[in-house]
Amino acid sequence: MSNPSDTFREEASDILESLEQHLLELEADPTGRELVDTVFRALHTIKGSGEMFGYSVLAGFVHKFENAFDMVRSGKSVVTEQLIDISLRSRDHIAALLDAGLDEAATSALAASETHIKLMGEIEQLTSEDGAPAPAAAAEEKKEEPTGPGEYLIKFKPDGGALRNGMRPDLLIDELRELGECEAHVIYDDVPPIEDMDPSESYLAWEIQLTTSETEEKINDLFLFFDDGDISVERQDAPEEHAPAEEAPGGTPAKPAAAKPAQKEEGGDSSGSSASAESVRVQAHRLDELMDQLGELVIAQARLNRIAERLTDSVLTGAAEEIERLVTGMRDATLSIRMLPISGVFSKFRRVVRDLSTELNKNVKMIAVGGDTELDKNIIDRLSEPLVHIIRNSIDHGIENADERGESGKSPAATVTLMARQTGGEVHISVNDDGKGLNTEAIRKRAIERGLIEEGVEHSEESIHQLIFAPGFSTAEKLSSISGRGVGMDAVRNFVEDLRGAVDVSSKTGEGTTITLRLPLTLAIIDGLLVRVGDGDFVIPLASVEECVELSEQEAQQEERRSLITIRDELIPVLRLGRLFQFTTDESASRAVIVNADGRRVGLIVDDVIGQHQTVIKSLSAYHRAVEGLAGCTILGDGSVALIIDPAALVKSRESRRREAA
Amino acid sequence: MNQTVDMPELEGANPVSMGGEPSFMALTFELQDEIFAVDVTNVHEVIDPLPITLVPNSDPFAPGLINARGTVVPVLDLRERLGMRGLERTTDTRFVVLETALGDDRTKFAVVADRVYEVVEISIGSIQAAPDLSMAWPSDFVRGIATHGETLITVLDTSVVFQPELAA
Repeated sequence: MSNPSDTFREEASDILESLEQHLLELEADPTGRELVDTVFRALHTIKGSGEMFGYSVLAGFVHKFENAFDMVRSGKSVVTEQLIDISLRSRDHIAALLDAGLDEAATSALAASETHIKLMGEIEQLTSEDGAPAPAAAAEEKKEEPTGPGEYLIKFKPDGGALRNGMRPDLLIDELRELGECEAHVIYDDVPPIEDMDPSESYLAWEIQLTTSETEEKINDLFLFFDDGDISVERQDAPEEHAPAEEAPGGTPAKPAAAKPAQKEEGGDSSGSSASAESVRVQAHRLDELMDQLGELVIAQARLNRIAERLTDSVLTGAAEEIERLVTGMRDATLSIRMLPISGVFSKFRRVVRDLSTELNKNVKMIAVGGDTELDKNIIDRLSEPLVHIIRNSIDHGIENADERGESGKSPAATVTLMARQTGGEVHISVNDDGKGLNTEAIRKRAIERGLIEEGVEHSEESIHQLIFAPGFSTAEKLSSISGRGVGMDAVRNFVEDLRGAVDVSSKTGEGTTITLRLPLTLAIIDGLLVRVGDGDFVIPLASVEECVELSEQEAQQEERRSLITIRDELIPVLRLGRLFQFTTDESASRAVIVNADGRRVGLIVDDVIGQHQTVIKSLSAYHRAVEGLAGCTILGDGSVALIIDPAALVKSRESRRREAA
Repeated sequence: MNQTVDMPELEGANPVSMGGEPSFMALTFELQDEIFAVDVTNVHEVIDPLPITLVPNSDPFAPGLINARGTVVPVLDLRERLGMRGLERTTDTRFVVLETALGDDRTKFAVVADRVYEVVEISIGSIQAAPDLSMAWPSDFVRGIATHGETLITVLDTSVVFQPELAA
């Protein structure tokens, strides 16, 4: 991350992401003052650092955009649907400009593009609406109007702290010199006696006499980023040209009235900016390296423990124990770095839902539940694509238009609910809509057409619904630009399977459809219960454990032949892990771990319960993926490997085997 | 923890430079008195045996897992796949950690070897196709037989012999 321009791009795309979020919130709450301020600040930051890193087209565009929000801030205009709409499109355009990077050809192509010009025009119109009704075309004309050389008197005095903020008066004056003949005088009036002088403070002011053929706007543009101080630009020679020049503040920068509040805000918001400074960007592969190193450290530490035990030196043992504690803390800290809340992904979909519902003329609102569920960064990064597919399908095919909704007695506003929750070793992410549900008959017909099922053979409604994930399946009656190209759900399934997850659909006619992605918690941390079966250590996800019961020797033998145990008068089916795994176990002392497997209580009989264990889930390789009932593996504190049990899958596989046997 | 071990040299074999002939470096190891070789670019490291965590109900070819420097890797029992008699641990037993492309992914795994020899240069030209009849295992497991001094070396095709599931 040595390249500052890359850093800027990364930061700017983060800002753009939250900007979108805030714009959408602002749409819901147009009077939210704080939101307006946040949007303004975001734009201001992009503008400032964009200029610094040479993104001048971008900065210029953002500047115009910023003006629109400045007017809202200063109460000259209000948040309208039109403003939000233009803002969202502008945001996309900024993202495009950002993507073009420092490639001049690409940037100027974008600057000349229809989008750019149209947006500029629209923003111009917005910002001038409350002032003089100067439409975009007029503003354009004004720019091209040739003006003879004019004389300007420019006075500026940087704010006291301006130098500390990186302000360079010398460069500014150099730039003015490029515009024409320029004479600058320094005003020393405010310079204090030397003993009171703070060398980082700015005390000087300038008076500059400039003769130039450039427009006043051009001069103002130079002071675009000069927010910290007082500035005035006055045309001296030609009073008759004064009128158009005065109109400039409507659409041009650096008017003191605008600069002042901006500056105040920034000062007052120092807590906010310091909070963002607390986060550091790290490339993912560095985290991987850190994890590898940590793995070695854990092994080395386990070895140290063994040596300390053998030498029975209390000083060494003490040191080893301390290192063990530190390593454990470090492992947890490192792992938690990789985990991100899923809310980041969810928030992206607000825009998707908004745009789609506008395009399809359906009234849809989105609800997100469980955004704080944490998932490994690698999975999060790859989640957007399948979720977009699903949401598009929901809105395009699932949700009826307002008339149809009215006929079936539903509220005209449809709801799409995104929900995430962690269950055992999996994270379930579901997309639910309250639309018309899947059309079972249409799917059946289509599946027969496609040769996916045979005609005349009975299939449950449920199994027919699953066919929507079959390759090349699509029931959309007509192709729309949004979905229905027949690749959607198939692609979703492939994608989820690549992550070793699964996808389910459940649907009720007239009530809606829920599509659930079940993703493994690869690399996620779970709390586990460490148990021993034979010579092997196993981890049972604590989330699915309900209780542990000790079975007496007699009881254990008594229950030997039965697959049920009695706990507080309740009969509970049990699985003997030792036997299931074909391990030699110590049958005399055993315990039952009562787990909740898909809503049923099942006892897993183990030799011993060792204790709770923070578990890092590692995925199994291709060699063991097919083994039923395992969710992954983990490295224990002593460096040994333990397998993680997936109780639900274990019970399921056991049942299917029993059925086969029957 | 430095587990990399010194490797004995193959008996009666001195490394011979192959001159300009196309060749590759291969790690040689022993399984039930036969010498096998894998391309050294696939070899991560050779380590002393580590405790194996057995995976219940797994394929006997991949009986368990080990922790190789913080990474959990499956242990493969090549004897099982080559139809040899069961695993026996001796003081010479080593784990060869390999990383190779199986299908689309690069997979890391450890192979149990009775004894690990040295790295030798094998000239591509000296590899002869293994006669089908002489082999106790499917011929696509091996790239061929190479001679090194007086020793016959079976050069394994890592992309086939270590496949998780064999095509029937």
